Amino acid sequence: MSESPVSGDGTIRVTVDPDLEDLVPGFLQNRHKDVEAIRLAVEREDWATLQRLGHSMKGSGGGYGFDSITTLGAGIETAAKARDTSAIERLVSELDSYLDHIEVVFG
Amino acid sequence: MRILIVDDSVDDRRLLEAILGNAGYKDVIGAASAREAFKVLGLTGPVDGLVLPDLVLMDIMMPDMNGIEALNIIRATESFRDLPVIMVTAMDQSDTLQAAFNAGAVDYITKPYNRTELLARVRSSLRLKHEMDQRKTREQELVSMTVRLEQVIHTLQGLSTMDGLTGISNRRHFDEILDREWRRAARDGKPLSFMMADIDFFKPYNDAYGHQAGDECLRRVAKSLAGCMRRAGDWVARYGGEEFAILVSDTDRPGLLAVAEALRKTVEGLGIEHLSAPGKVVSISLGAAQMIPKPGSSPPMLVAAADRALYKAKQAGRNRVCFAEDGAA
Repeated sequence: MSESPVSGDGTIRVTVDPDLEDLVPGFLQNRHKDVEAIRLAVEREDWATLQRLGHSMKGSGGGYGFDSITTLGAGIETAAKARDTSAIERLVSELDSYLDHIEVVFG
Repeated sequence: MRILIVDDSVDDRRLLEAILGNAGYKDVIGAASAREAFKVLGLTGPVDGLVLPDLVLMDIMMPDMNGIEALNIIRATESFRDLPVIMVTAMDQSDTLQAAFNAGAVDYITKPYNRTELLARVRSSLRLKHEMDQRKTREQELVSMTVRLEQVIHTLQGLSTMDGLTGISNRRHFDEILDREWRRAARDGKPLSFMMADIDFFKPYNDAYGHQAGDECLRRVAKSLAGCMRRAGDWVARYGGEEFAILVSDTDRPGLLAVAEALRKTVEGLGIEHLSAPGKVVSISLGAAQMIPKPGSSPPMLVAAADRALYKAKQAGRNRVCFAEDGAA
């Protein structure tokens, strides 16, 4: 499992274990939902939910092969503890863009 | 091997199921909360066809009830005391890890999962569980073996010919010998002689010197009586309590009385201190009887005659021999 940015169009190629092929679409779909949920929670200043969502992403991302999701999740969890709205907004935008630019390769 | 995954994250449950499934663990069930896990374990009520897991992977951070609280509840149930539970935790939670081990976790795995590490820990926990199960089975086998052994010992004791305390023949054995010697005497037309001996003032001896001393006294008396049995066909047995039965074959009345007197003197000669007895030492009284077996007579009659003679010996002051006149042939 590895991630490597591909030059030009900004596509990020992520190599994932073929064993997980069936699970990856659902996993990524849930992360898209996380983006929405995080933005909503930021509006509501729901720090507990933000912390939980970040913690959860941190725990699952790397296991699926998406190390960036773990890194971003850890950042969101930390920022939520510090109630740092701007940091969370920056991180969720990064996550959103990451999800839009990944290309999953199984092998 | 059934594995239960308790994790509120559906992505994490699916991932674990996939990793475990690919490693050959096909019987993996998921629970999204501690409450669901309790249901799976049958803690909330009876479950039809309940199959208990051999291993639990429990996420620590879950809403409603965290993994440590859940583990405490599971461990409180006797049957889950040995169920291996691996805690699943984010890398930076060393304080909660301590709490997890305190609650009885056998191991921990960090998220995100490292496949090799995960499988190694699962394997070793399952091996541990397997070994514990085997040990429990062996313990149960040992328990049932012990029960059977005790039954056999009990049976063998019933078949035994020896008195456990004194090492001489027991009453059951003596009754067989008496029957045999009775028939032999009947065949030969010769008198059969029987004596009942009883230690004098034995209860006061026990009270004064204690039961261990009482047992030792019985052993020494038994040994000295047995030492006097010199001819084939002579038998001594512990008949009960402090009573001894003695069989003397093919002898006349003076011969029997001589044997009886020898026994009495032997015991007196042991010099076992007994300060509340008139002679200050342990002594025996003997009742002797003799019969030539005839139609209409039987061993119990011979025993009863000796018993009556013993009673007379006791009445006459103990430490003496009485002959049963009514038992004379």
